[in-house]
Amino acid sequence: MDFLLWLEETAFSTWMRESGPAFFSTLTLHAVGMGFVVGVHVATNLRILGVAPGIPLSLMRRFFPVLWIGLVVVSVSGVLLLVAYPAKALTNPLFYLKLTSVLAALVITRSLANGVLKDSAHDAGPIPGKARVLAALSLLLWAGVVTSGRLLAYTYNILMASHQY
Amino acid sequence: MNSTWGWPAVETLHFLGLSLLIGTVGLFDLRLMGLAKGIPMSALHKLVPWGVAGYALNVMTGIMFVTSAPDQYLFNPAFQTKLALMGIAGINVLFFYRFQFGPVKRADADSSAPRAAKVAAAISLTCWIGVIVCGRLITYYRPPYYWCFWC
Repeated sequence: MDFLLWLEETAFSTWMRESGPAFFSTLTLHAVGMGFVVGVHVATNLRILGVAPGIPLSLMRRFFPVLWIGLVVVSVSGVLLLVAYPAKALTNPLFYLKLTSVLAALVITRSLANGVLKDSAHDAGPIPGKARVLAALSLLLWAGVVTSGRLLAYTYNILMASHQY
Repeated sequence: MNSTWGWPAVETLHFLGLSLLIGTVGLFDLRLMGLAKGIPMSALHKLVPWGVAGYALNVMTGIMFVTSAPDQYLFNPAFQTKLALMGIAGINVLFFYRFQFGPVKRADADSSAPRAAKVAAAISLTCWIGVIVCGRLITYYRPPYYWCFWC
């Protein structure tokens, strides 16, 4: 809590919190980045689950640069939002559930990217059951990430370390 | 909507719908603009119904927001801009399907989209990103302090 108190009183944290343009442009980047990160997963996982079978599966990787850029955007903006209100998220268990879900979903993405998405044998044929289970799980995890991210605005117990009574 | 979890739940659905739209329509736009050549545009277009479902979800949830707190939206320049961008995207999509979808559907996997279709895709992607930006800014431009961006 001392660290959170120190962080939220730094000039940068205060500026992130109190400057409308700084805070809202960060929030906006986080939402747009989210659209592309979750969006690339939506498309890839739907394809694995059998939607749009005419898409050569391995070529879905050509959209992955969009995913990497999106991940950089959400990570940087996410850290900045944390700096603005460190206690708000870091004292909320839901935040750790969100982070764990992101990491689990990305482990699945890596496994699919090095598995079915790499092997052009699956381009037109049926996708193995294991990959389909992983794709469905990935969609559920991302839906959970979006849900917990949204609920972080409503479930915090402490907004600021210095404002506890 | 006025219960404790009504508003957050509807917001969550709105964000999930947005992700469906960007993941399907947004990626289709990027393919038209030249990314991911090798994927047949006609095959990628089969994802678009999921984006339409996301759009429908967001129209419904959006109406729930506006009807629950109309004063927060109707005089809000971010909301007005959002509606204008949705209007432009709507006209753009009608033009796309009327004039450009035929050649796009018949194109080979490796070919580029015609120039006009690339322009339509760029307009579409710009509008939808702008819609997300405006959506996020609605809470920043809270009326009655703002009636327009320059006020």
